[in-house]
Amino acid sequence: MASNGLGRRRFMRMSAGTLIASAAGDLLTGCAAGQPRPGGPTDGIGYFARFGVTELMIAETLGAALSRGGDYADVFFQHRVSNDLALEDGAVNRAFTTVELGVGVRVVKGDQTGYGYSEDLSPAALKACAQTAATIADGASRAAPQRFHVASRLPQRYPLKVRWEDIRPEQKLPLLDGVNARVFAADPRVKKVSVHFRDESGAVLLADSQGRIVEDAQPMTLLYVSCLAEENNRREQGGYNVAARAGFEFYEPERLDRVVREAVARTTILFEASPPPAGEMPVVLAAGSSGILLHEAIGHGMEADFNRKNVSIYADKIGKPIAKPFVNIVDDATNENARGAINVDDEGNDAGRTQLVENGVLATYLHDSISARHYGVKPTGNGRRQGYQFAPMPRMRATYMLPGPHKKDEIIASVKKGIYCQNFTNGQVNIGAGDFTFYVKNGYLIEDGKLTRPIKDVNIIGNGPKVLEKVDMVSDDLQIDEGGWTCGKDGQSVPVSQGLPTVRVSSMTVGGRGQG
Amino acid sequence: MAQNDSMLDVAKNAAALAQRCGARDAAAGAYRVRNVEVQWRDGKVEKVSEATTRGLGLELYVDGRYASVSTSDLRPDAVERFVEDAVALTRKLAADPYRALPDPALYEGQSSVDLDLEDPRYGELDAPRRRRIAEELEAAARAVRGGEAILSVTTGFGDTQAESFRVHTNGFVGARRVTDFGMSAQVSVKDPDGRRPEDWDAASARHFASLPSPEGVGRTAAERALSRIGSRKGESAHFTMAVENRSAGRILGFFLGPLSAAALQQKRSFLDGKLGQRIASTRLDLADDPLVPRGLGSRLFDSEGMAARRFPLFEQGVLRSYYVDNYYGRKLGMKPTTRGMSNLAWKFGEKGRDALLADMKEGILVTGFLGGNSNSTTGDFSLGAQGFRVRGGKIAEVIGEMNVSGNHLELWQHLAAVGNDPYPYSSSRTPTLVFEGVQFAGV
Repeated sequence: MASNGLGRRRFMRMSAGTLIASAAGDLLTGCAAGQPRPGGPTDGIGYFARFGVTELMIAETLGAALSRGGDYADVFFQHRVSNDLALEDGAVNRAFTTVELGVGVRVVKGDQTGYGYSEDLSPAALKACAQTAATIADGASRAAPQRFHVASRLPQRYPLKVRWEDIRPEQKLPLLDGVNARVFAADPRVKKVSVHFRDESGAVLLADSQGRIVEDAQPMTLLYVSCLAEENNRREQGGYNVAARAGFEFYEPERLDRVVREAVARTTILFEASPPPAGEMPVVLAAGSSGILLHEAIGHGMEADFNRKNVSIYADKIGKPIAKPFVNIVDDATNENARGAINVDDEGNDAGRTQLVENGVLATYLHDSISARHYGVKPTGNGRRQGYQFAPMPRMRATYMLPGPHKKDEIIASVKKGIYCQNFTNGQVNIGAGDFTFYVKNGYLIEDGKLTRPIKDVNIIGNGPKVLEKVDMVSDDLQIDEGGWTCGKDGQSVPVSQGLPTVRVSSMTVGGRGQG
Repeated sequence: MAQNDSMLDVAKNAAALAQRCGARDAAAGAYRVRNVEVQWRDGKVEKVSEATTRGLGLELYVDGRYASVSTSDLRPDAVERFVEDAVALTRKLAADPYRALPDPALYEGQSSVDLDLEDPRYGELDAPRRRRIAEELEAAARAVRGGEAILSVTTGFGDTQAESFRVHTNGFVGARRVTDFGMSAQVSVKDPDGRRPEDWDAASARHFASLPSPEGVGRTAAERALSRIGSRKGESAHFTMAVENRSAGRILGFFLGPLSAAALQQKRSFLDGKLGQRIASTRLDLADDPLVPRGLGSRLFDSEGMAARRFPLFEQGVLRSYYVDNYYGRKLGMKPTTRGMSNLAWKFGEKGRDALLADMKEGILVTGFLGGNSNSTTGDFSLGAQGFRVRGGKIAEVIGEMNVSGNHLELWQHLAAVGNDPYPYSSSRTPTLVFEGVQFAGV
């Protein structure tokens, strides 16, 4: 998870990629920004004109950045405003708002990076950032572009009806109160409910030494409900959350019904649940958020930086068959309104759909610009960063498996003794050893081809390439989860999506208790 | 807005501005942090980075309502608009009678101990020196026996200088200046079976001179990575589990997290109602101690301005205190202690890791947890684990791809031994811990 910069140094080590389901309690906040000015003196600078950003400033900054040479330089401006309203003990009695405004300057020489950043957008501060970044190079200066061009019209993957800046708190408050009332009404065992409602708005601007300029407005919203139930002196907690790059219209009645229903159901079933046995057994993953399997088993391992550094277990596997022929895995930027969708990556590169595994064969890595240049391929639009304080690196977007030839019922019926996993909280991977885990919050035991008793609170561990080989049944019911997933890598968090059809893995190690 | 504006003035002005906008009370925090990092990989610089970051946070108490806001846009007109908007937003929330600044009496009695958190020689570090440390880390890693199996070495050195100020409208003013130095080495090695296991070592300190030699850190990272070659799954069974000191913080953190008053008040704590009860073995003797000189969690006042004091958490396994902040303390009718952990002070045992392994004879030494989670309401946990089998009191074959599961209310009753070897590079300072009868899942 992100640090808040209050005096703690970050370790530079390549930390194992972590994935976390959205948890309330972060102080993500924001406050409303002003109206963007139409047009503006430079094509491409629309939103950031209000902060006094001009073409001249950018040109001078890039000039300073390239003063010692280097292959490439970019300037990344970010403004992000997030508002968080929270309900606890029956009332919306707290709000958290955060404004982030800053700029990062990067110089790249080969595969080496210099980086400086600041919250101060004055020319002097920008120059200081650029000079810091320039120290990675030590050659003759290069000319910076004087004019900038918008490379192409961006796709519009997060259409929204009304901008978050134009939604007043009075419109949001009834939603939280309503959800709270309905959750309590759904089951008398519910004793505590908390509801968090978050919206983010703002934009990024990327300008580079090739004269390219790109600006993207990036909305996000999230609703998180958590409940605590009591029965016979026992307590259980559960919840549900939904997230999207969407507007207020995202919270249509059918979705709110589902949020209330799932939050309660996932909590109360836990009274009947117990841990499964410990050891190796077949694992069936329900369609949807079990895409976490892909994110951890192969997603991080296929990020191109790990591979060009020769440290990923997938470093020598491109072109090799690693799964059955009906296994197809993609990482996709294009899913409309998805949390993991992006119109453009944070290096200004086009972001589309990238196929990691094609008919069971490992096809391509997820590239940022540095890796794409290293491998001599086109960038895949995976260069992302948490914010202006960070240099970009290969990250996922929406990672999922395409539908396969089997059916959900036949998959469950095929298992004599195993588990069915439905809901997850988090996962992690060591991309070199290849070991990865995910934590199952809700599921069922499968006995003689049928779902029997509910299970809970169990960690599953496996080895990425081995598990992919063991995916032996894939259903046709692909679902991309609507939850608020956050991926952590090397001290940076980015929002992502994931999905899966119902899938069977013939064997994984289940962290249960007792022999079966 | 000049770069050299005093952050104390930023905090004072923000608190005053909040009141002018109509807040009855406010607590403002402003910080400035300078961070420099160099990362080094396989013989050359990988990344250099430097920045000075500033920010402002404000807790607002307006007509009995509460909000907490922050901004990094410190232009004066932007801050003015920001605070106006924040106060207006706060008025729209429901009133909360439990929200108020702490009673000023709680600010009093601050210790006068010199915590020595700022290294006066911070400014002497320069780019060539940082680079040299990163190079030495790599050289030491590559020099170990078996180093031909090394695929890649990434090392890093970073340092931070930070100052922060808190100003409360009911009289609290606090300043804090700290420095932080850290080095790390990460090594990936080739297993003949195609895997590329990795491991790392790191060190951090408030003063540069307290850091260990890069040679030791680089060497340890490489030795640990090489020791992962040939890792296999162990069998599913109950074992005595020794957790090495630097990994124990994770499982301890899951045990202590539910001590928070927020968790108690929301009924999500398995430690609810257990004050005064023995919930761990008599070997657990633990206190929260904010006044350790150069401690990584040390402070004279906490995040609410309360004077920081040492207090007991566990005495011979008996739970003595919760972590109680002002807000949830009022809701629960409990006196506040402090919101979050500072440093942990242990009653250490007599023996180090190897002596403890000799005592336990058979079991598993865990050297890393992977993923997994812990249920704060029930105390159930399940974590990925790797390490070594222990046979005849000695480290034997390397194992991994396993899970360890249980419930904290049972696990800590079976705490059989506490080591004498605190991990110095964390505020929790965990020693080796040995637990009996722990469920492992493997083959």
